[in-house]
Amino acid sequence: MSNKQNHPSLLPQGVFIFVYLAVLTALEFFVALTFNSIIILVAVALVKAALVLWYYMHVYKLGEEPKEDHESYVYKAGTNRIGLWLFLISDSFVFGGLMVMRLSLLGLTRPDLNQTLGFFVTSVLLVSSFFMNRGEVQLHNGNRKGFLQNTMVTFVLGLFFLLGVVLIEWHTVPAIAEPILHLFGEPEGKEPLKASSGPAGAAFFMMTGMHAFHVLTGLIFLIIVWVNGKKGLYDEKQYPVEAAAVYWHFVDVVWIFFYPALYLIGTAI
Amino acid sequence: MKNNSLGKAFLLLVIAGAVGYGIGLGLDALVTGGLNFSGSVASAFTLLFGFTAFFFGLYGYRGITRGLVFQVVGTVAGALFVTGIRALLRLTAFGAFFFSEPAWVFGALVGVLSFIAGVGIVTDWYKWARGMDTPEHHEDEPGWEKYFSVSLDHKVIGIQYTVTALFLIAVGGTFALIFRTELAASELQFLTTTFRAFNQTGPQFYNTLMSLHGMIMIVSILLGVSGIINYVVPMIIGAQDMAFPRLNAFAYWVAVPASVLLLMALVLGGFDTGWTGYPPLSARAPVGMQMFFLGVFTAGWSSILGALNVIATVLRMRAKGMTAMRMPIFVWASIATSIIALTATQLIGLSFQLVMFQRLFGMGFFDAAKGGNPVLFQHLFWFYSHPAVYVFVLPGLGVISELLPVFVRKPLFGYRWIAMSSLGIALVGFVVWAHHMFTSGMNEYLRVPFMYSTMLVAVPTGVKFFSWVATIWGGKIETPTPMLFVIGAIVVFLLGGVTGPPNAMVALDLHLHDTYWVVGHFHDTIFGGFVFPFFAAIYYWFPKATGRRMNEFWGKVHFWLMTPSFLTLTFGMMYIGLRGMRRRVADYDAALGFDNAHLILTICGFLIALSVLIFFINFFRSIKHGEPAAGNVWNSRSPEWLVPSPMPAHNYEVPFEVVGEPYDYGLPGSKYVEFAAKKAGKH
Repeated sequence: MSNKQNHPSLLPQGVFIFVYLAVLTALEFFVALTFNSIIILVAVALVKAALVLWYYMHVYKLGEEPKEDHESYVYKAGTNRIGLWLFLISDSFVFGGLMVMRLSLLGLTRPDLNQTLGFFVTSVLLVSSFFMNRGEVQLHNGNRKGFLQNTMVTFVLGLFFLLGVVLIEWHTVPAIAEPILHLFGEPEGKEPLKASSGPAGAAFFMMTGMHAFHVLTGLIFLIIVWVNGKKGLYDEKQYPVEAAAVYWHFVDVVWIFFYPALYLIGTAI
Repeated sequence: MKNNSLGKAFLLLVIAGAVGYGIGLGLDALVTGGLNFSGSVASAFTLLFGFTAFFFGLYGYRGITRGLVFQVVGTVAGALFVTGIRALLRLTAFGAFFFSEPAWVFGALVGVLSFIAGVGIVTDWYKWARGMDTPEHHEDEPGWEKYFSVSLDHKVIGIQYTVTALFLIAVGGTFALIFRTELAASELQFLTTTFRAFNQTGPQFYNTLMSLHGMIMIVSILLGVSGIINYVVPMIIGAQDMAFPRLNAFAYWVAVPASVLLLMALVLGGFDTGWTGYPPLSARAPVGMQMFFLGVFTAGWSSILGALNVIATVLRMRAKGMTAMRMPIFVWASIATSIIALTATQLIGLSFQLVMFQRLFGMGFFDAAKGGNPVLFQHLFWFYSHPAVYVFVLPGLGVISELLPVFVRKPLFGYRWIAMSSLGIALVGFVVWAHHMFTSGMNEYLRVPFMYSTMLVAVPTGVKFFSWVATIWGGKIETPTPMLFVIGAIVVFLLGGVTGPPNAMVALDLHLHDTYWVVGHFHDTIFGGFVFPFFAAIYYWFPKATGRRMNEFWGKVHFWLMTPSFLTLTFGMMYIGLRGMRRRVADYDAALGFDNAHLILTICGFLIALSVLIFFINFFRSIKHGEPAAGNVWNSRSPEWLVPSPMPAHNYEVPFEVVGEPYDYGLPGSKYVEFAAKKAGKH
């Protein structure tokens, strides 16, 4: 496959997938607020994850049998792709373990969090995934400027998500967190969740903390490909961009499961 | 190796150790106002200064020396940083071990990262991130010196792994000898309550040594497994190197600071939980516990990244014609072991992290007073730590299957079955973890399913035994040292295997749990599944690495000394275990009547140590003085033996193609590989 080949069909595809994801997220939020059916929430999360895995992370590329010479760039990129996916499999065991911890400690209860803020930061991450996909496709189509712009938007949105969780949700700096939480309808004088207060706090801080750490590494990855893209790399050898994108979407997939687990499922305690 | 540099290294070790001891004593005295001659700070500084100076004398300021200097500086800098912040926030700045616990943890973490930066393993990645290109391979300097700094050659890394594993075996074995000596008779003889080492009383010190014996041996086994896999797998699949040479080197080099952290656990107050680190005890143990957690966490990354590399290498870099069912059986075993190491290892890292955070931030994961659940820890922990034993033994069992046909001159019986049995053990291994928890107070209905899934492991293992016996049957058996160890491995692993199902049965396990029976069973499985095959592999592939053979006579002495002593040791353990000897205790009641048995066990322990000492001397002597052996020493069909030893840097000069079955020994006209004709104008 030539790198310069045009794939105009991929851009609208990204938009469609994003619309599906947005509708499903809204559905999730609505279900949680009204009749809170665990089965629907789990099913929606699985469908969302499958959409991202297939259309944004191109998991099908793993099955492509290369006919190239072992020393060629395409073959080596394929090896790197396998390495990255093996790493993601390994990493998902950490998140799986955290999910087991949360289910074991909290069962069908959840931390008492601001659901509107949760919905907001989730949307920010979802939109960032959309722009990441756009950036990758633009580079593939040979549009470097579009790639740089979209990657920068992804980076800024990712940073927003990170700050939203670490600064506001965690109540790190009360002077900043409180007015914003108030904006999202948090009642005055409500005691914020603490890491040491009980199982809900412990699970919440551990899960969001581990996820935030991955968001941070993803941001570093994004800024690296942005700077190198600015320098003019990735004309032919585009695998680093694909890797950054796949990793970024993986962080999103994790949140697709963590979001209902922390904000939606069960009753607040 | 130049003798003068070794002498200089030891001299510097002594001097720097003394200087470090003095500095540690002084610092401690500044904070506590008194001299504590067996204190932790003095010991920690002795350790760090001594080690660093040793490598400085040996090798100069580069490679591992630079890494260790960076680690020491990083640890102190990180700890001072947290101490400063705590002082500003008016929290207690200093703790029982000079620095406070958060300072030690942060310092240790910074230390590990500094080591990685200092040793130079991330330099290429850093260049890539800056958009620069680096050459695909780096040339190594000739001679022994390349083993002390970053090399991308899988064979160098394999040897680095193996030698580090041997070093850790010696450390862990020494710990075992110390506490085994204390156990030789009832009552406390030298590890008494008035004894002091590293700020610990005798019984505390016993617990620390016993716990660290476990974990240091486990890390040593993981490194040994990686060593054999790294050295052998790319060679026998016809690859030039691993798929990701830098990641490969990274995986090795993170294990070095991890080992330093484990040793720091010994001096920073130790810990008394055993290698399992169960809370609530581990939530209260001294700072050494945190060093232990961090050390295991770091070593875990070595295992994960190594496994990732192995899978990618086997998937992508096999020689032409090497279909799945024509891969050497050791490759199948490596894949099976890597699947476990890649995935499950994350869970031990996670469970230890959760305890670390519980201690640092008061997050009540396993604290029942805060709504946590200590049994949850055991589930997370054993989800790795049971499959971990298959990580240890599967490559060893692969070595047995790989070597057996060579020495009986017959095809391997049931190739497909034995390939699949490795995968079978690995996959069943994921669903058996709770058999460690029959007495833990977990839900009782979980016991029976876990009992059956555990006994299911015996089926693929039985397939392996069946194949080995059928392979030996009617063969022309030769018994050079590697074959002796293969036979020893089969016998010992059989004993370990048949003592397993009794533990799996709930009714029996309630009696056997936490007794010496389990200790005996475990040592049988690990010696049979790892230690014996590991020695077999070293004796077998030693000529490939060095071009010389290890001494046969001393190899046989090693075997005939170790095997009977070891069998007596584990039989004795199981015997007193059945009669009620509890494991992990420093002392036992004389009225139990175990004094004689324990004395015999201690003697056997020392005999094993003696045999391993003989091995060490043989190993290091043979590098220089062994009998030259450049050809196909064992008359093997495997491609690595069809080219002269030692192997050149990028393996085969001409690629080979697989044209037949790997183990058709003794079948006339059969061929496994064919080398392409050497072209005159090679690039």
